[in-house]
Amino acid sequence: MRARVIGGLAVALFVLSACAGSSSGTGAGGSVGVIASPSAAFPVTMTDDDGQQITLAAPPERIVTFAPSMTETVFALGLGDEVVGVSGAYDDYPPAATHVQQIGGAGEFGVDPNIEEVVALEPDLFLTIEGGDQWKQQLRDLGIPVVTLNATDLPDLLDDIRTVGRITGAVEEADRLTADMQTRADAVTTDVEAAGGPVSCFFEVYFPPLTTVGPDTFIYDLLRRAGCDPATAGAKTDYPTWSIEKLIADPPDVYLATPESAKSTAAVAKRTGFDAIPAVAAGRVALIDSDLVTRPGPRVIEGLEALETALHPSG
Amino acid sequence: MAAPGAARYRRTLVVLALILTASVLLAVAVGAVWISPRTTLQIVAWKLHLIPRPADVSVASQVILLQLRLPRVVLAVVVGAGLGASGMMFQGLFRNPLADPAVIGVSSGAALAAIVVIVAGAGAAAGGLLVSGAAFLGALVTAFLVYRLARIGPGVQVATLLLAGIAVAAAISSVMSLVMAFAGEQIRSIYFWLLGGLGARGWSSVEVVVPFLAVGILAATFQVRDLNLLALGEERAAQLGVEVAASKRRAIAVGALLAAAAVSVAGVIGFVGLMTPHVLRLIVGADHRRLLPAVLLGGAIFMVLADLVARTALAPEELPLGVVTALIGAPFFLWLLRREHGRSLRGV
Repeated sequence: MRARVIGGLAVALFVLSACAGSSSGTGAGGSVGVIASPSAAFPVTMTDDDGQQITLAAPPERIVTFAPSMTETVFALGLGDEVVGVSGAYDDYPPAATHVQQIGGAGEFGVDPNIEEVVALEPDLFLTIEGGDQWKQQLRDLGIPVVTLNATDLPDLLDDIRTVGRITGAVEEADRLTADMQTRADAVTTDVEAAGGPVSCFFEVYFPPLTTVGPDTFIYDLLRRAGCDPATAGAKTDYPTWSIEKLIADPPDVYLATPESAKSTAAVAKRTGFDAIPAVAAGRVALIDSDLVTRPGPRVIEGLEALETALHPSG
Repeated sequence: MAAPGAARYRRTLVVLALILTASVLLAVAVGAVWISPRTTLQIVAWKLHLIPRPADVSVASQVILLQLRLPRVVLAVVVGAGLGASGMMFQGLFRNPLADPAVIGVSSGAALAAIVVIVAGAGAAAGGLLVSGAAFLGALVTAFLVYRLARIGPGVQVATLLLAGIAVAAAISSVMSLVMAFAGEQIRSIYFWLLGGLGARGWSSVEVVVPFLAVGILAATFQVRDLNLLALGEERAAQLGVEVAASKRRAIAVGALLAAAAVSVAGVIGFVGLMTPHVLRLIVGADHRRLLPAVLLGGAIFMVLADLVARTALAPEELPLGVVTALIGAPFFLWLLRREHGRSLRGV
């Protein structure tokens, strides 16, 4: 029974990281090689972040996006009509995505795709993030092309969006989208410099226990770009439980939380001991929409801008 | 109690009390942030109105010591004592040293009930009391269930107890999976409850849990005599004037209350309730009247030190408390199982 509880925890952690949409650790991460002619004529052959080689003979017409970030990316490329399946209730953006069939909710802990439903949808592309090696193999064995992309930081995400564009035949849309994101990211960099460089910050993803982000997470990269030196630079894990003693002894300039971790900025100030953090006492607390910073999709640029505004309000 | 060995027993209690005092002092002195013993003493002396407010002590040190570390250590003492006493009640009731609120699923039952209240959103509205109440009900129902399932003939056999515990814990685990699937953003609360921990709790949690545990411990003192008689066998206990059925129901209720109070503030923490009574039974003997004070002290010591490891081993990151107790407890549990197995083979 101990093993089951531990197993449950492992899955809980998987769900957390899946909800967080973050990508770190196990996957190959990093760059993705796409071998295609400049005009992206099909067939396209690529190696994904799970190290799998995938060849698509023609532009896919029936796409399953098994991760909210993938759903957002594919819709942003103007391919919403081709999405025949999404993972579940978290695939809530854009609103049109909520009308697509949800194929998640299977497996012992309800985080796997329902294989029968996937097969019935006859997809010619299954886009997802890290994890689930077993059911991925099952889908591959059934002849469904599974593509795994883990964005580890912003440049990697732009790469991944262009990759999705190339394998779906939406090259121009992807170029336009990523160019716009790059421009906005550059503007944030300029603003940070104008505001006098980075300030120290603490990003809370959950409370209690006080849970934050480690250096290998996607959020951490966004924080750095938004002009923050996270107080958790020394963290050894991706989502560490952090000592409140340490938080008070080395207080950050700005305290960031999410609507899931704190009901309001006032609620943060009311917690035991938190009034001893000057930033909290001075009201330098902001709630960041976690969907904008935890899902490596097109909207992270909005998250980046929101972070920058919270970190450098005057700038 | 002028029985032979009374002096030795008193000495054992004094030694345990000294170890607990030393553990508490160590746990207050050491943390993720270093506060010098001099500063610590100054802050404590000031709070006790022995000296005027020390000028050179930072607000951060005061807050860390008085609002974070001290209540956490106190909570560890209280939760550890509660789990130790709960383990003793269940081991006495089942007449089996393998019974423990975590092993027989009582802690999981309490956690499940608490989780359901949290996920339903009622927890935030009603505060800690409703969650504690739900945890108590969950613990009570699970304890009765396992007891009814495990009881075949006189007493409870190790195998049936473990099988019943596994069956009930598996059922609870699958219900938890189900709740988790629908939990959405609340899933981290569940994660927290399952791993257990004393972080981010503060004095308000101490205030919630102390009355429950005080009632539980007081009630336990009225049960220890019956537990001793029940140890002789139910028939013999009945002949000696014990109302067996009623007495066992009370013992289950007391054990569940103690476990639920601990779980409601600290989540599921295994092995404290298992190890503490067993170790102390080896030292002070099987007399539950003597065992109770010893397990209260012993459970507190174990929990204070385990939490000290949890918050300092990887500082400033914290380990889940349940993981620390399991790391220490699991090897012990295996040793105990082998030992029990050997004994039953020899027909003892």
